[in-house]
Amino acid sequence: MSEPGLGDLAELRAPLAAGSTTATALVERSFARLEALEPTLRAFLFTRREAALGEAAEADRRRSRGALRGPLDGIPIAIKDNIVQAAEPASGASRILEAYVSPFEATAVARLPAAGAVVVGRTNLDEFAMGSSTEHSCQGPSKNPWDTTRSPGGSSGGSAVAVSAGVVPLSLGSDTGGSIRQPAALCGVVGMKPTYGRVSRYGLVAFASSLDQIGPLGRSAADCAALLDAISGHDPHDSTSLPEPPLATRDALSGDVSGLTLGWLREVDDAAGVAPGVRRCVREAVGELERAGAKLREVSLPHTRHAIAAYYLIATAEASSNLARYDGVRYGHRAATQGSLTELYERTRAEGFGAEVKRRILLGTYVLSAGYYDAYYRKAQQVRTLLRRDFEAAFAGCDAIVLPTTPETAFRLGEKSDDPLALYLADVFTVSANLAGLPGVSTPCGTDAGLPVGLQILGPPLADATVLRIADAYQRRTPHHLARPPL
Amino acid sequence: MSPAAYECVIGLEVHVQLRTRSKLFSTADVSYGDEPNHHVSPVCLALPGALPVLNGRAVELAVRAALATGCKVHAHSVFARKHYFYPDLPKAYQISQYEEPLATGGQLTIDAGNGERRIGITRIHMEEDAGKSMHAPGDPETQVDLNRAGVPLVEIVSEPDLRSAEEAGVYLRALRQLLRWVEASDADMEKGQFRCDANVSLRPRGETRLGTRTEIKNLNSFRFVEAAIETEIERQTKQLRKGEAIQQATLGFDAERGRLFVMRIKENADDYRYFPDPDLIPLVLAEARIEEIRAALPELPAARQQRFETEHGLAAADASTLVASRALADWYEAAARAHGQGKSVAPWVLRDVLAALKERDREPESIRLEAEGFASLLRLVDEGRVTARSARELLPELLFEGGDPERLVRERGLEAVSDAGALEGFVDEALAANPKAVESYAAGDAKSLNFLMGQVMRRSAGKADPAAVRALLTRRLEEPK
Amino acid sequence: MSRISREEVERVAHLARLRLGGDEAEAMTQALEAILAYVAQLDAVDTEGVPATAHVIPLATPLREDEPEDVLAPDLAVANAPAPRGTAFTVPRVLDDEAEG
Repeated sequence: MSEPGLGDLAELRAPLAAGSTTATALVERSFARLEALEPTLRAFLFTRREAALGEAAEADRRRSRGALRGPLDGIPIAIKDNIVQAAEPASGASRILEAYVSPFEATAVARLPAAGAVVVGRTNLDEFAMGSSTEHSCQGPSKNPWDTTRSPGGSSGGSAVAVSAGVVPLSLGSDTGGSIRQPAALCGVVGMKPTYGRVSRYGLVAFASSLDQIGPLGRSAADCAALLDAISGHDPHDSTSLPEPPLATRDALSGDVSGLTLGWLREVDDAAGVAPGVRRCVREAVGELERAGAKLREVSLPHTRHAIAAYYLIATAEASSNLARYDGVRYGHRAATQGSLTELYERTRAEGFGAEVKRRILLGTYVLSAGYYDAYYRKAQQVRTLLRRDFEAAFAGCDAIVLPTTPETAFRLGEKSDDPLALYLADVFTVSANLAGLPGVSTPCGTDAGLPVGLQILGPPLADATVLRIADAYQRRTPHHLARPPL
Repeated sequence: MSPAAYECVIGLEVHVQLRTRSKLFSTADVSYGDEPNHHVSPVCLALPGALPVLNGRAVELAVRAALATGCKVHAHSVFARKHYFYPDLPKAYQISQYEEPLATGGQLTIDAGNGERRIGITRIHMEEDAGKSMHAPGDPETQVDLNRAGVPLVEIVSEPDLRSAEEAGVYLRALRQLLRWVEASDADMEKGQFRCDANVSLRPRGETRLGTRTEIKNLNSFRFVEAAIETEIERQTKQLRKGEAIQQATLGFDAERGRLFVMRIKENADDYRYFPDPDLIPLVLAEARIEEIRAALPELPAARQQRFETEHGLAAADASTLVASRALADWYEAAARAHGQGKSVAPWVLRDVLAALKERDREPESIRLEAEGFASLLRLVDEGRVTARSARELLPELLFEGGDPERLVRERGLEAVSDAGALEGFVDEALAANPKAVESYAAGDAKSLNFLMGQVMRRSAGKADPAAVRALLTRRLEEPK
Repeated sequence: MSRISREEVERVAHLARLRLGGDEAEAMTQALEAILAYVAQLDAVDTEGVPATAHVIPLATPLREDEPEDVLAPDLAVANAPAPRGTAFTVPRVLDDEAEG
C-alpha cells in the first residue's frame, strides 16, 4: 500500500501544530488512501474532493491567522449517507432516493464547520440503516478491512470501514439497534451511541424515530469524545432533543476508573451463542478495568431476553410509518407507468426498496394494523417499560454495565443473508440500549482468530462522559485500539 | 310509515383553521391563493430528515376554542400519526390526535326556533391540514400544491344531537361566531378555514339506537350544509320507506346541481394504523397555563347578550343580533357608553348600520367610524341639530371612511333648519301650493298633516327640524281663518 | 400453526403500497411467519398494568414561537421532483376510489 492510513487525532494534530503538514495535505492523503482502497472496501457512496479541499484551505488560512476552531479544525471526516448535508446527495443506500440532493442540512453536520472538520464523503450503509451487515445497500456491501471476505457489520458499515482503513480518523454513524457499536466492534474501531436526545436527529433520515441516534466512530475514545462534543447539545428543530448544552466529555477523560462500580451481566453468562473467543477477550478486558481500580459486581436485566422481540416490533412499526413518504411524488425514484396513482405508488415502492426494507415495512404495517396493535405494538412498548425498569434497578447498584458488543466476530458476507431472523438475533447485546435510550460505547478489546472483538460499556441516561471515560481509561492501559487491519 | 315517523340524527365534524402566522409543525408561513409550493419548508415536503416542532400559538388558540365551547382541556394530550396514501399528504400520514385529544366534553347552546337546546361537543383535537390536489378538466394528471400542507386545524366533533338541517345550520353559525369571537380563527369559509363533514342517519321515532349513517364530506358554506343534509334526509327517508337498508358511504355534495354523489362505499373500517408520533413527545399543559388562557378570554357572546338585555334593556332578539359578531358588539357597546343611552343607540345599529353593511357586503370589522363619533352623530340628532334623515344619509360614508360627524354636517350644510323665519317661509309656500290638502285637513283628515309635512321637508331639502315643522304647521292649520 | 396467511400479507402489502411479485409474496409470508413466531414469546410476559413506553424522553414536547422563517425557494422545492409542472408536483389523475386508503 503506497499511501499509509491516517492515524488518530493526536497523530494528525501534532504535525499540523508544528507546521509540518497542512489540512490540505491531510485531505489529499485521505483521498489518496480512499482511492487506493475503495475498489476493495467500497466504504463510500459519494465523495466531495473539490469542496473538501476548499474547506481544508480555509482551515489552513485560519491556522495561519491563529484563529483555530478547536480540536477538529482541518480534520477530514466521513458521514453516513443517511445524514443529510446541504446541496449534497443523500441516498440512504436506497434506490428510492437515487439522485436525491438535500436542500437542507442536518444539525449535526451543520455544527461541523464551526468545529472546522472537513467532510470528505458519504459512507455506505444498509438501506435506510436497516441491517447489520451493510449487505442491504443498493450499492452492494462494504468489506471488512480485517478480512475482505467478511462483513464490516452495519448498518454504519462504511463509516466503520473508513476509520478502520485509515481513510479518515473519524466518522459519523447512526445507531438504532447497534448500528454504530456493532460495526465498530467488527472493524476494530471505537463507536459511541449517545444518550437518546443528546445529538439532534434533525437531518437524520429516519428509520425508527424513538430509537435513532447519531454518534461518532473513531480510532480512540478520546477522538470520539471530541466529535461528540462538537455535534451534541440542544436543537430547537428536534422536539426530542434534550434541553442540555453541548457536552464536554473530552474534559472528563481522566484515565481514572477507581471508585467506579461496573456491572457484569448475569444474562451474558447464560447466553448461548457467545463465541468462546469473544467471551475470553471481554473477560480479560473487564479484568484490566478491575486492576485499574474499578469494582465489579453482578447485575441482572431479566427482560433483555425479550429485547430483540420488542425491538423488532417497535423499530419496524416506526419504520413502516417513516418510509411511507417515499412515494415518487416529490422526490426520488418514480416507476415508469402510465397506470393509476395506486399503481404508481405500488410499483415505485416495489422498485425502490430492497427486500429487507420491504420485509420490515410489511412487518411494521402489520403490527400497527387494526386488530393487531395491542397484541404486538402496545405489548412491545410495555415490555420496553419493563426493560427500562430493569436498567434503573441495575444502575442503582453500578455506574456502568460491561458486556460484549456482539456475540461473534465478523461473519462472512452472505453467511446470514438467507435468514433474517438469525441476523436480528445477533443484535442481542446492542438493542437494549436503544430501547432504554442509554449511552453506550464499543471499544476494541483484542482479536479472536485475527478478527476484532468489541467490549461494550453501557451507562445510565446522560452518563455519556462516564462510558467514554471508562473506554478511554481502558485504552490507556491496553494496545487493542491501536491494532491495524492487515491491508 | 310517513316521513315524520323517522327521526333524523346528525353529528358534525368541523375543521377550523387556527389563526397563526406559521404552520402547525413547520415554520413555513400560512398563505392563501399563491403559486404552488411557494410556502413550503423541508417539513412541509416531508423531506428525508425533516422533523416537526409544535407551534405554541396554535396550542393557545386551540385551548381558547376548547374553553369557549366549555370543553375540559386535558393536561396531557398526544399527537398520533394517521396513515393513508394520497398525493397531497406528503408524509403519507397526518399528524393528528387520537386516543388522547386536547379537549373533550363541551357544549354549545342553540335556538333554532324550537327553544334552547344544548348540543354536546365530544372532542376537540389539533391536526395538520393536507395540501391541495388540483384536477383540471381533461388533464390526464393531477397537480399537487403543498402550500396548505401543515396549516394548523382543530377538528371539533359534535355529539349526534342535531335533529334537522336547520339545527345543523344554527349550530354551525353559532360555532363560527364563537371561534371568531375568541379570535381562535378567522373562519373565512371562502378560504376553506371552516369546513364541515356531516354524519346523517335516520331512525324510527322512539328508537334509541342509531341507524346506519352516511358521511357528507367537505361542506364549505352554511347553505350547502343545509341543502346537503336536507337532500340526504329525503334520500334516506325514501329508501327506508321502500324497505331498503341504508348503506354506509362517504358522500360528496355537488353544490352546482344540488346533488349528492357517492365518493366511496365503506365495506369495512379504514385502517389508519394510528400510533403515537415518536417525533413528538406528549403535549403537557399545566393547570396554571390553561387558567391563564381562560382568564384572557373575552366575555363570551351568551354572557354579552344577557348583559345587553338586562343592562341596556334590549329585547332578546335585538341583543342576539348585536352579538352575532364581536366587532359589532364591541362597537355598539362603546357607542352606547359614549352616548349614555344604549336603548336609543341600538335601533340605529340594528337598522341603519346593518343595512349599510349589507348594502356594501361588508363585515363589521370594516367599520372605520369611531364609536364615539357615531355617538356624537346621534347626539346631534337628539339635539335637533341634524335631522334623522340627514344623519341616515351621511352614515354610510362616515361608517366606511370615518371622520368627524359634526364637521361633515357643517361642510355639507346639513344643519337642521329650526330658525322660525326660514321655516315659516317653507310652510307658507307649502300651504299656498296645496289648498286641497288644507281643505281636507279642515274636514277632519289628519293624514293631510303628514302630506303637508312632507311638502315642507322637501322645500327645506330635508334639513328642517321635523318637530318644529309639525308644531308650526299644526298651529297654522288650526288658526281660525 | 400458521400466524399469517399469504392473503393477509397481500392485504398488508396493499396498505403499505408495495407490489409483491409472485415469489416475493410467498417469501415474505414465510419470513413474517418466522418473525411472528419468534416475537410470540412476548405473550408470556406479564404486562398487566404496565404503561407503554412510546419515548424515553421524560419531558413535554417543546413549543415554538409562531414566527414564520424562510421557506424553500420554489425551484428548490421541486428540484428533486420526478415530474414537476412549473412549481407543482404531478401524479396520474386521481380517481375517486383512490382517496384515503
